[in-house]
Amino acid sequence: MRGSPYWNPKTETMPREQLRALQGHRLRLTVERAYRTSAFHKALFDQAGVKPADIRTVDDIVRLPFTTRDAWMDNQAEHAPFGQMCAVTPDEAIRYHTTSGTSGRTPLRVLDTRTDWKWVADMWCYGFHGFGVRPGDRVFFAFSYGTFIGFWGAHYGTEKMGCLVLPSGNMTTPNRVQLIHDMQATVVCATPTYALRLGQEAENLGIDLPSGSVKRLILSGEPAGSIPASKKLVEEQWGAKAADTAGMTEIGTIMMFECEHQPGGTHIIEDHFIEEVIDPATGEPVDYGEQGERVVTSFGRTAIPLVRYRSRDLVIKVPHTKCTCGRSFDVYDGGIRGRVDDMLLVRGTNVYPRAIEAIVREYLAVDEFQIRLWTKDGIRDEIAVRCEVRPGFEDQWSGIAKRLGSDLSHNIEGLGIHVERAEAGSLPRFELKAKRVKDDRVVKGASHV
Amino acid sequence: MSKPTDVMGTPLTEAEASLLAAYRGLEALLTDDLAPSVHANISEALASLWQAVNDLALTDDRPAV
Repeated sequence: MRGSPYWNPKTETMPREQLRALQGHRLRLTVERAYRTSAFHKALFDQAGVKPADIRTVDDIVRLPFTTRDAWMDNQAEHAPFGQMCAVTPDEAIRYHTTSGTSGRTPLRVLDTRTDWKWVADMWCYGFHGFGVRPGDRVFFAFSYGTFIGFWGAHYGTEKMGCLVLPSGNMTTPNRVQLIHDMQATVVCATPTYALRLGQEAENLGIDLPSGSVKRLILSGEPAGSIPASKKLVEEQWGAKAADTAGMTEIGTIMMFECEHQPGGTHIIEDHFIEEVIDPATGEPVDYGEQGERVVTSFGRTAIPLVRYRSRDLVIKVPHTKCTCGRSFDVYDGGIRGRVDDMLLVRGTNVYPRAIEAIVREYLAVDEFQIRLWTKDGIRDEIAVRCEVRPGFEDQWSGIAKRLGSDLSHNIEGLGIHVERAEAGSLPRFELKAKRVKDDRVVKGASHV
Repeated sequence: MSKPTDVMGTPLTEAEASLLAAYRGLEALLTDDLAPSVHANISEALASLWQAVNDLALTDDRPAV
């Protein structure tokens, strides 16, 4: 039994009907607890005219109102510093964290109890175990251990599993690569962008990663972990298999992971979460196979009872049968496909940064890139992909740039996209979530010329 | 039958005896027949409980977790 390929075989292989019954049971308890302990939820449910007793089965979830980040933020500002979402007082919590603050606003502040941290770690174990990580593995974390929740739970999860954890804190990139090499790490956890950065640094240091000890990479924090071209690049660079995971500070942990069968997507941890997919414009549910916004309800966290939270992440849910691993957990095909608010409107064309990355990463000659937008002649939107050229490809660059420009245009509704060469080392590198879009337009997305 | 004592020979209180019994019970549960999640979580609990029995000097045991 201990040798099971599943972290929690009882629920991971549970027939769908039983799984839905378990979700219904946990939903009832979560809603009742949220109503009782979180003033934010009580007000929200009262306003929507729904009482905990109205929720009997998992299908009743649609009777509950959505929770939005804006409402949470507003409430936090009004009832600073923690807001009324928190179901515990700071005296009952053992840890404070925040969102990464990429939206530029004040980050969300969250508290967690001792039990919450056990649960947070356990969710990560579903992912690590599911991708073949086992006691005895040496797990390196490219993570700075600050208030951003990031890989904190993964750190505890792998300790719990009996792995040897290699934290790198505020080490420099070359020092991190050296640590991975010296300690013979077998698993590396990083954002996809930073995994590539570590790979570049290994080349600089003359360390041959493919012949090294690392067999698995656990990626998180960016959609690139499920973009086939980006993932292939990481896997080739490291000579290791890479698995995508995704989580959010609002739930404190991951809610999906890629298993060893690598079905081209990530399993949803459905015994601990209900993940709905809706049309972001109407709020109505979409069918399997249709892209929509994921909405999460989380059962595990005492301090933050999250109910129908609109994530703004774009996903396509498909049945569990997409994967042959035997789990009954449904799959997000292609992982997180972008953000509802990521979309750039350029001369009337919808442009998703993920789509650009998927094409750019097909080109080995591109070391790093940035998407730049500006307003020409005060009226016309322009978009360029600025590329740093990988050493050894300089002479071929002009032909490569032409092909890349044509590929981009062909795949993005014929939109003219400039390809520009950037000086080596001039583009920003990222340890956490990469920000590759530089939008200098006067009016963003308003030009239809 | 003599009353159980801590490592210094002081008789255990009722609460200490219960705590030691819980520790021993948890230790006995830890077998390879358990699912990975159950084994790891019991190991964590055992490590925490050991800290309590060790603080109280109830046993010189050290669990292999």
